Amino acid sequence: MKLNKTIFIIIISALILGTEAFTTLLGQAVPGKDENIPFLVTFGRHGETSWGDDDFYGVFFFSIPKDYTQQFYIRVFDPDTGGENDEIQGEFNTRCLFAVYGGKGVDPDKNEDSKGLLNGLNYKGGNLLASRIFGSEPRYDNKYYTFGPFNPTSGDFSSKWNSFLFKIVCEGISGDDGNLYRYFLSREPENNLPVEGANAFTYEYTFRMWNDFKSVAHIYPYVDTGVIFIRQRNFDWDNDGHILVVSRYKQGIDVPISNEDDWQESRIGIELPEIGSSLDFQFHKKQGDLVKNNNVVVTLESQRGDALPFFSSPIGGVPVYQAKIKVTQVKKPK
Amino acid sequence: MSKKSLYIICLFIIINASFSLQAQKPSIYKVTRMSFNSGIFSEISPVIVKDGIVFCSDRKFSSIKDRTSFDGRRLYNIYIAERKDTSSWSKPEELKSERSTLFNNGPLCVAPDGKTIYFTSEIETGKITKKRSFKNHSGIFTAELSGTNLVSLQPFQYNNQQYNVGQPSVSSDGKYLFFASDMPGGQGGSDLYYCELINGQWSAPVNLGPKINSPGAENFPYMHPSGRLYFSSNRPGGLGNLDVYYSALTFGSWEDPVLMPEPINSASDDFAFIADQNMATGYFSSNRRRSDDIYMFASTIIRKSECDTLVENNYCYELIEENAVKFDTLPFRYEWNFGDGEKGIGPAVEHCYPGPGSYLVQLDVVNLITKEILYNEKSYNLELKAVEQPYISGPDEGTAGQTIKLSADNTNLPGWNIARYYWNFGDETIAIGKEVDKAYINPGTYNVQLIVTSEPEPGGVIRETCVCKNIIVMR
Repeated sequence: MKLNKTIFIIIISALILGTEAFTTLLGQAVPGKDENIPFLVTFGRHGETSWGDDDFYGVFFFSIPKDYTQQFYIRVFDPDTGGENDEIQGEFNTRCLFAVYGGKGVDPDKNEDSKGLLNGLNYKGGNLLASRIFGSEPRYDNKYYTFGPFNPTSGDFSSKWNSFLFKIVCEGISGDDGNLYRYFLSREPENNLPVEGANAFTYEYTFRMWNDFKSVAHIYPYVDTGVIFIRQRNFDWDNDGHILVVSRYKQGIDVPISNEDDWQESRIGIELPEIGSSLDFQFHKKQGDLVKNNNVVVTLESQRGDALPFFSSPIGGVPVYQAKIKVTQVKKPK
Repeated sequence: MSKKSLYIICLFIIINASFSLQAQKPSIYKVTRMSFNSGIFSEISPVIVKDGIVFCSDRKFSSIKDRTSFDGRRLYNIYIAERKDTSSWSKPEELKSERSTLFNNGPLCVAPDGKTIYFTSEIETGKITKKRSFKNHSGIFTAELSGTNLVSLQPFQYNNQQYNVGQPSVSSDGKYLFFASDMPGGQGGSDLYYCELINGQWSAPVNLGPKINSPGAENFPYMHPSGRLYFSSNRPGGLGNLDVYYSALTFGSWEDPVLMPEPINSASDDFAFIADQNMATGYFSSNRRRSDDIYMFASTIIRKSECDTLVENNYCYELIEENAVKFDTLPFRYEWNFGDGEKGIGPAVEHCYPGPGSYLVQLDVVNLITKEILYNEKSYNLELKAVEQPYISGPDEGTAGQTIKLSADNTNLPGWNIARYYWNFGDETIAIGKEVDKAYINPGTYNVQLIVTSEPEPGGVIRETCVCKNIIVMR
């Protein structure tokens, strides 16, 4: 009898653990699982751009499918600036404002300012649904803060994505430390349960690189119709390795990378079959002397100057290069 | 048995044996006397025309009328015998001209336009020709063929009352006129000459030189479309009297004339040889019977009019990683394993395989940034097959007199049960066998045909196929 009880407990425990693992895997994590990025980064507005944040705010959009009618939550992991994950400059004195927006003015296709690409523009367009300022608060260190619940219909409807769009802005309103955090879009306030079909995207990716040589970070821009070439811009790369652009048709184009506190840009041609799919920007760290706590910024725009969105879950899946061998008979050498 | 008797017996055996060996050698030509030959009169100098054969004959004009010259000699006139079917001919009909009744007409040739006739006739036609002491000479004349009449006669500009000019032959491109003449300055007797058509005018006659012309008589030139010049000569070394020889202009000079074999040549006069484009059939004149007659020959040599040019098996390929070659610099190294033990590096490589087979090409890619090796990033199964054809293995070039070996060993005809490998060496010689030896006598370019025949298949079907290749024979 005792044995049966033990087996029962083990099975139940396994089921609970398995469910937890499952939900964690499938949550709309930002950064996404395939991106393999440890943290998003926003510095306090008194920080130095050479520390890896060009504008001291970060904007992310969440898309909720039209047919999803339940309430949802936006959870922020480690929203405070203090503790083990965040980047201290002297002493922690940074306060960050997290604000969730919905309604008209959020959709970046209708409101260019909403993308948050240029300082001085009103990237806070939309209806403020929730906000909170976080300083150095140990109770949120390595823990979640949950915004919501939100009703999907309180978002800004995008017919392009057939989804309601929401936006979360992290703004370093004071101080000079780096706030490292992650987002999760969830059906529940206390667990990370994914909203089926939901996604997250941004137009300027500011993130923390891994502190090891082998981990390769990825971001997945979506190439929309009409794109002939893209112009990539990267900031404050500290000459830390290589950026390879990969698609089904590109095995890895090595694009120029920036140094300390500067921008570097280049142009990448887009082939017709790449339209309507995602590219894979791979970030390979420099081998040799480890560049630690490297924070970087990446943006992309088309030949028309339109910014390309980076999706946390790559649209069309992670692009895998397909080598193509062509064999042609040639003249026999004499 | 005395030594003398033994010697005689041995000699008899040797002679008999050599005669037997000679007798076993098959002739490559079969000769037939034409049905339109008359009994006792002469028929000579055939010319192939669209509907039959034009020739010269001194035959009786009719059972009542006859034609002789002023001095009583029989006159040659031009006739046409039309082909009724593959074996029979119509009764010859005369092609008349204003000269028909009193002068010789012929030999002749037809220009490439099919209407202009070049023929031989006497130069002088005036009263003086009636004098017994007057020696007339022959010249070349042109005429237009109008039905069965030769009209608009014009003398050749190089006719000369001091010597004979005749037996014209115009090359198939119309640019050269060959003829025989005993004009002064030759090699002796009658020699062969040519004129070149330049701006509508025939150039001054040029002697064909000592290779063609001997101290004896050379006449009846015929320029075959292949470029071979056939002619008759009574030079030593033939089978007797006039014999047919041929030569070709190779690298600017005439080759040593080659004697045509029996039964085209005989101990009698054999002359005025002509042949069709493929040398499969033709005609010549000979007095091997009672009088000059026209004979047809048919080559027993198999030579295909349609024969595929040998395709060299080529197992060389370019392998490209198509997406990679679009970019000048990629941080990758492309390593190819060609599947035959050989390797290559680069996004585009070339490789020649040793022969037919199935090769698994594998592409490994080395990421030069991460040093990661992507083994077998892509593979490609390359099936190489030899071209399905008879195959001629052997040199493309050789020298005259040198024996070259030709082999059909690499013939690739799957499903064929091959009965025979037949070689036509392009010089009217043949051989049978999978591996053969050949020595060309003269320099030139020879088109060798290999004709492969299968054993009868169910239903009695025999398959046959042919490939050819050129062999250049140097001096």
